[in-house]
Amino acid sequence: MNGLARILRTLAGGLFVVAGALKAFDPAAFATDIDHYHLLPYFALAPLALYLPWLEIICGSAVIAWPAFRRGALILLFALIIGFTGAIIAAMARHLDISCGCFGAATAMPLSYALVRNVILGGIFWWLLRVEYRCAKPGPADAG
Amino acid sequence: MTRDEARPPGVKTCRQIALLLAFALVPALLAGWLHPKRPAWGWKRPAVAEIALEDAQHLPPPVIWVDARPEVEYQERHVPGAISLDQSHWEELLPDFIKVWQPGTRVVVYCNTQECDASHEVALRLHRELQIDNVFVLQGGWKAWLEAQKK
Repeated sequence: MNGLARILRTLAGGLFVVAGALKAFDPAAFATDIDHYHLLPYFALAPLALYLPWLEIICGSAVIAWPAFRRGALILLFALIIGFTGAIIAAMARHLDISCGCFGAATAMPLSYALVRNVILGGIFWWLLRVEYRCAKPGPADAG
Repeated sequence: MTRDEARPPGVKTCRQIALLLAFALVPALLAGWLHPKRPAWGWKRPAVAEIALEDAQHLPPPVIWVDARPEVEYQERHVPGAISLDQSHWEELLPDFIKVWQPGTRVVVYCNTQECDASHEVALRLHRELQIDNVFVLQGGWKAWLEAQKK
């Protein structure tokens, strides 16, 4: 179980590091991608486009290689996945013909693919969180 | 027992989350200050000025005409000298625009008709992503241009 958790942490955390780095490379294009969802007021676009990629990079790195912050990072990334998935569903419900913007301007991924990927990623993060909490529970020796 | 270990797990997790959120703030602020591709910020969406065809034709040079219609339509026919900036091929087409743009250049963007949004979207992107101020949207778009040619 620990081996599988380590592999999934590396893959899922790495995915967020790469996604964050691609968006951090061109925050102006990412602001445009966020704007295409028509969900946020104009003044929020630039700060979010500058902040979110770095949050992904830092949390992704913490999940892979910073055990002291792993639980917090897993919770934040899980929350981000829920937020992104909500935005994708809202865009699909309004029949917006946009690409997800998940990996910056370099890739144009259709919303339906992004939704499936997010559901899988959400499941992985949910499982990793459960493993994290289970490992942290004191065993009988600790309790005694 | 260290002070951190003595804290209840919930408090430790909240502390981790708060610190991670704060850590991300540092490079984000630096990027907002120094990044060459930082987005333009404002409280309100900048209103893109519309311009009538006759006024656009008398703008003092240099002027760049930008065709925001799908690239296929641009290939069929376009305003002489116009550059295509179809949003679905933005990354490929933008370098051509950047090659000819220089500070002080006025940019006139058009799409098919008065009702289409592409010209406004492209004008906003040029403002936000390249910090260009002198961007105008052509009233009536390509249709207005064609009608003027018939006269």
